[in-house]
Amino acid sequence: MLRRWRTRILLFLAVLGPGFITANVDNDPNGIFTYSQAGAQYGYALLWTMIPITLALIVVQEMCARMGVVTGKGLSDLIREEFGLRLTVIVLLLLVLVNFGNVIGEFSGIAASLDLFHLSKYISVPVCSVLVWLLAVRGDYKSVEKIFLTASVFYIAYIVAGVLSQPSWHTALVATVKIPPRSAWTHDYLFLVISVIGTTIAPWMQFYLQSTIVEKGVSVKNYAASRLDVIVGSIFTDIVAWFIIVACAATLYMHGQGAIRDASDAAQAMKPLAGQYAFLLFAFGLFNASFFAASVLPLSTAYVVCEGLGLESGVDKKFSEAPAFYWLYTILIAGGAAVVMIPNFPLIKWSITSQALNGVLLPVVIVLMLLLINRKDLMGEYANSRWFNIAAWLTAGIVSVLSLMLMVQQFRS
Amino acid sequence: MAHKAHNGDVDPSLTTMLGTPVTNASGQLRGRVRDLAVGTGVDAGKVAGLVLKTRRGLELVAATSVLQTPSGAFELRPEAEVRPLRPDDNFILLRQDLLDRQIIDVHGRKVVRVNDVDLQWFSHNGDPQDLRVREVEVGLRGAVRRLLKGALPAQTLETLARRFPARVIPWEFVDVIEVDPARRVKLNIEHERLAQLHPSDIADILEDLPAAEREAVLTTLDEEVAAEALEEVEPHLQVSMVESLTSEVAAGIVEEMDPSAAADLLAELPESRSEAILEEMDPEERQEVEELLEFREDSAAGRMTTEYVAVPQTATVGDAIQALRGFEGDIETITEIYLVDETEVLKGVVPLARIVLAKPETRLDVLGEPRFISCEADAHQQEVAELFDKYNLRALPVLNNDAKLVGVVEADHVIAFLRSGR
Repeated sequence: MLRRWRTRILLFLAVLGPGFITANVDNDPNGIFTYSQAGAQYGYALLWTMIPITLALIVVQEMCARMGVVTGKGLSDLIREEFGLRLTVIVLLLLVLVNFGNVIGEFSGIAASLDLFHLSKYISVPVCSVLVWLLAVRGDYKSVEKIFLTASVFYIAYIVAGVLSQPSWHTALVATVKIPPRSAWTHDYLFLVISVIGTTIAPWMQFYLQSTIVEKGVSVKNYAASRLDVIVGSIFTDIVAWFIIVACAATLYMHGQGAIRDASDAAQAMKPLAGQYAFLLFAFGLFNASFFAASVLPLSTAYVVCEGLGLESGVDKKFSEAPAFYWLYTILIAGGAAVVMIPNFPLIKWSITSQALNGVLLPVVIVLMLLLINRKDLMGEYANSRWFNIAAWLTAGIVSVLSLMLMVQQFRS
Repeated sequence: MAHKAHNGDVDPSLTTMLGTPVTNASGQLRGRVRDLAVGTGVDAGKVAGLVLKTRRGLELVAATSVLQTPSGAFELRPEAEVRPLRPDDNFILLRQDLLDRQIIDVHGRKVVRVNDVDLQWFSHNGDPQDLRVREVEVGLRGAVRRLLKGALPAQTLETLARRFPARVIPWEFVDVIEVDPARRVKLNIEHERLAQLHPSDIADILEDLPAAEREAVLTTLDEEVAAEALEEVEPHLQVSMVESLTSEVAAGIVEEMDPSAAADLLAELPESRSEAILEEMDPEERQEVEELLEFREDSAAGRMTTEYVAVPQTATVGDAIQALRGFEGDIETITEIYLVDETEVLKGVVPLARIVLAKPETRLDVLGEPRFISCEADAHQQEVAELFDKYNLRALPVLNNDAKLVGVVEADHVIAFLRSGR
C-alpha cells in the first residue's frame, strides 16, 4: 500500500512540469497588480471570481495538454498544417506583438521590485536580461525545467504574506463562494472583475504549454498524469492569487488605502500596515514572478514562431544553424529591457495597448483550438466529448467576450 | 521555348495554380483547381492530373488537357477526359498531403516545412508532354507567394517573389512522411534515401518529428538502420519512441541494437513493457540483454557490450582474422582482440593495428601487451572514465570476480556517459 502510494507520488512528480509552470507564469507582474488592486479597492468582494477562473483555466489548459500529447505537435504546427500559412503568419505576428508587450511588463516588474531594495533599474534590468538570455542558451531542457519548478514554488511567498496580514478568514472564505449583492456592482467594480478574468488566460500560455508537453515527449498512456499536472497547477496558481487579494484586502483595504498604481506599490504600502516581513515577501514575490515570466516568454515566442514557419529552432542548435530563432529571442529580451530603461517611457499606455492586442488574439486562438480538438482525424477518441464541448465553447465564449470588453474599456479610459 | 507559349511565361507553382477557374471549350465554368495529384512509384514526380472542385464533386483531368487563356483561367481542350477522383487512387495530393507539412530534406539532413511546390512543363516539338514536380520550396519565396496571393496581380506578385532568394529541395531529395500505414504501403513510401544517411543524422531527424511521424519513419526503415539510429537518439526520446511501437516491431529493432544500448533502453521502460519486448526477441539476443539488465546501470557492466572478439591464447593472426570474419556484431567498433584461456580468463589484449601488420602465422600472444588494463564488473562508471583518460584507452575489458572476461566498455560509451553528466 505504502509502496503503491510512493510510486504514485513519484510518477506524479515526474510529470509535474509543463502545466504547473505555465499556470504559475500566469501570475506575472500584470496579474499580481490586478489581484492587488482587487484586494486594495474592494477588499474580499472579488474573491468569488477565483473559482470560475480556476475552472476556465483548467478547461482551456487541459485541451492544450491533450492536443500536445495526442498529436505530438505544437499549437503553431497544428494551426499551420490545418489552417494554412496566411492565418499562421497573422496569428504569429499578433503573438509576437502581444508577447513583446508582456516582456516589457516583466522587465518593468523586475525594475520595480528591485527598486524597492534601492537598486537602480539601470543596473538591475541589464544584469537580469543577460541572466535571462544565458539561462535558456546555456541550460538544457531538464535543468531549465527544474529551475522553473523551483521558481514556481517561491510563489508560496505570497501565501505566507497573506497569512502574516492577519485577515478575517471567515469573511474571506464566505466571500469566495458568495457573489456579492447587486448594489455592489458599480461600473468600476465590473471593470475589475473583467480585468481579473481577462488576465487569467493569455494566448501565449496555450502555445507554451503545448510545446513544452511535446518537448517533454509525454505519451498518450501518461496523459492522465499530465492532466493532473494541469489541474494542480491551475489550482495552485489561483490559491496564490487568492492570497494576494486577501493580503491586500486585510491591509490596504482595511486601512482605507484604496487604489494602487502598480504592483510594487502594494508592497510599499504594506510595510507600515503588515510589517517588514510582509513587505519583503511581496517584493520578493514580485521579483520572482517577473524574472520567471521574463525567462519563459521570449523563449517560448521564439520557439513557437520558428516552429510554425518551419525554421530551425532550439537551444541545442548553434547560432548559425538557427539564426532566426536566436535573433528573435535576443531581440525580444534586449528590446524589452531597453524599452524599460528609456526614461519616462509611457509604460501604462503601452501595457494597455498590449492588453488590447491580447483581447484580439485570445478569441482567435481559442476558437482555432476548439476547431482542432474536435477534429476526429487528428484527435481520434481523444476529441472533445459533447458535454466537454459545451463547457469548452461556453468558457471560450465568456472569456473571449470579457477580454474584448476589457479591451474596449481600456481604450475608453 | 515551346512550352512557354503553352502556359504562361514561367513554370507554374502549386500556389499559382490553386483556385484557378477551369472552363470547358465553350467558355462555361466547369470548376476550380482544388489540388494537384502526383504519381508515386514509377510515375514519381509526374503530375497525374489537376483535381477540380466541381458541382459533381472532385474530378481529375490530365494537366496536358488544359490550355491557359490570356485571362489566366484554364480552358479544357475539346478532347479532354474528365473523370471523378476515386478514393483508391494512389496519388500524393500536393495541397492536402504536402503543402504546410513537414518533410525530410534528405540532402540537407533535416526536417523542413513546405511553402510551395515548383512545377515544370516538359514539351516535345511544341506539344506539352507532361507536367512534373521540379522542386519543393521551403524558403521565403514560396512564403511570399502564399501570403500575398490575391492581394497583388499575379504578374506583379511573381516579380516580387522572384526577388526573394529561393530555398528549394529537388523532388528526388524529398522524403514524404505518411502516418497512415495502409496509405503508406499504397503510396510505396520506402525512405530509401533516408536509410543511406548516417545513423546520427537519422537520429537528429527523428528527434525533430512528432511522435506519430517518428513511428511512421522508424517502422519503414530497415530494422538494422532503425536500430543504429535509435541508439543515437536522446535517452528520454528513445523511451517514448519505443513506447509508441508494437512489442513485435520494437523487439525487431532492439535485437539489432548493440546489447548494452538495448539493455540501457529496456531498463528505462516500464517493466511490463520491457518484458513484452524481451518475450518477442530471439532467444540468443534476449539472453545477452537479460544478463546485462542484471547489472547496475552506472557500473562498468552496465555500460559494457557483450559483443567482442575473443580467441584462445594459443591462436595465430590467421585465427584472429577468421574470428573477425565470423563476428556478428558491429565490426567497426572492434579495436582490439582478447586472448582467453579455456575457462574464459583474460590472458592478453592485442590491438587490431598490430594484427594487420603481422604475418598470418604469427602467434597472437607475442603481439599482445605484456600488461593490460582491465576493470571489475562492478566498477563505477566514473572509475571507468578515469581509466580511459589515464591510459588513453580505446576499449576496456571487463572481468567478473573470477577474472573471466564478460564484456568490453568502448570509448563511445564513455563519451556518452561523460556528456550526459555535464
